[in-house]
Amino acid sequence: MQGPLIESLARQGVSRRTFLKYCATLASMMALPPAAGLAMAEAMAAARRPSVIWLPFQECTGCTESITRSHSPTLEGMIFDMISLDYQETLMAAAGHQAEEALHAAMKANHGKYLLIVDGSIPLGQDGAYSCIGGRSNLEILKEAAQGAAAIIAVGTCAAYGGIPKARPNPTGAVSVSDIVKDKPIVNIPGCPPVPVVMTGVLAHYLTFGSLPDLDDKGRPRAFFGETIHDRCYRRPFYDQGKFAKTFDDKGARRGWCLFELGCKGPVTHNACATAKWNGGTSWPVESGHGCLGCSEPDFWDAGDFYKALSVPAHPPTSVVAASVVGATAGAAAGFANRAKKNAARKARQPITVADLEK
Amino acid sequence: MTLDVIPIHVVPRHTGAALPGEPGLSGNAPPLLRELAEQVRHLLETGEPSAIDLSALPLTPADLDWLREKLGSGEIAVTLQAGGESTLDETACAGVWWVTHRNEQGAVASQFIEVAFVPELVKAHPADVAIGRERLEFMVSDL
Ligand code: SF4
Ligand code: SF4
Repeated sequence: MQGPLIESLARQGVSRRTFLKYCATLASMMALPPAAGLAMAEAMAAARRPSVIWLPFQECTGCTESITRSHSPTLEGMIFDMISLDYQETLMAAAGHQAEEALHAAMKANHGKYLLIVDGSIPLGQDGAYSCIGGRSNLEILKEAAQGAAAIIAVGTCAAYGGIPKARPNPTGAVSVSDIVKDKPIVNIPGCPPVPVVMTGVLAHYLTFGSLPDLDDKGRPRAFFGETIHDRCYRRPFYDQGKFAKTFDDKGARRGWCLFELGCKGPVTHNACATAKWNGGTSWPVESGHGCLGCSEPDFWDAGDFYKALSVPAHPPTSVVAASVVGATAGAAAGFANRAKKNAARKARQPITVADLEK
Repeated sequence: MTLDVIPIHVVPRHTGAALPGEPGLSGNAPPLLRELAEQVRHLLETGEPSAIDLSALPLTPADLDWLREKLGSGEIAVTLQAGGESTLDETACAGVWWVTHRNEQGAVASQFIEVAFVPELVKAHPADVAIGRERLEFMVSDL
């Protein structure tokens, strides 16, 4: 563990205001009330950086790429300042026995306290021989590392649900982290690859509140996966009006109509793409003209043709939209249900503290 | 080529009658004025600032324009260069600030209406002021 976050940021020329501004945006994305940005910034600035061990298993490195190469090095890259990354094979200079030693030293020094990040699935076929590091199977390494972890973050659809390696016929017998580890809290951050800001959000939550964020029934943080792509899609009005592109180059496609009939899986996919967007906020798959593939849901690869419309019509306009309209007309600035809950303190006209946000 | 060239027309979902390319008002903006009036009253009574997170509400671009126009512009416009540009503009209602944070690529990252005497981000933090003092003392010792 090293000094407070704000000091390490300052050493890299990240000013306090840059950090405050980032926290304001992060709080907004996490559906926390506006005052939470300041509370988060204060708590995080002073927080000691937790030790993190990052294990890559059966994966393509896309998740690591997504997170390390996000376009704003001072923003999403900040996660590397929030944590003390004690072991990450892809990024560390050490290799071979040296690397193995680093892993064991980190596990021992922070036993019971480190965060374990896993990307990639775990192959069980052939006694795990499909993916080994230093002569040991992924299964063996995961079990050992999980023992001393305070919590596990499964990054990417492979670690969260088995992902593409698990797609039929699953030649390596791939499974997810939660298929193996049953006695530790696990946060799933699925996506192929995952949206970088979700990772930052989960770490920020952990640093601010000392706990893991609220999860949905698939182990995903509700703040980012609470709504479907379809709920927040800017093409949604066309869906509601029944205006669909029929091919990728017809009049409808050029007018930006809904991609439902071209196979968009947005209505059944929970992820943050529509709001967080990709490539530094430039755009996102549906905005670039292609339907959502549903990459943050279990077994998305086997869920039917990417270019065939969902067989069941999407559920009617959801309660989220209706609720927010009611909220706004009722004069409450807080529209969404989860936001309203966190907003209790603000309604009571109390300045928000970290303790309030934990409630 | 900029993104604007791609012909994507956003139709607000609450107006029904609006045609593609004619963004309309959703009706969600006027209640925010009432909320702001309440927040300003609270600021005057207790000195406590508050804010409305605009990215969290179902507002169309037309709603935002309507709000901005209603609120008008005041005497102060602050530009902050910190991880991309931010603008903190006082509106014609003193104490009500329109705050837009952009990222390094220039995309809007978040947008708020803040109700405060001075937005928190504008104030210098004591720790930063202390660093400034050290710098000054160093310059003085060098005279
Ligand atoms: S079906 Fe896809 S393109 Fe159409 S509104 Fe839903 S998410 Fe957007
Ligand atoms: S739009 Fe859909 S398929 Fe594409 S990254 Fe987002 S969740 Fe995954």
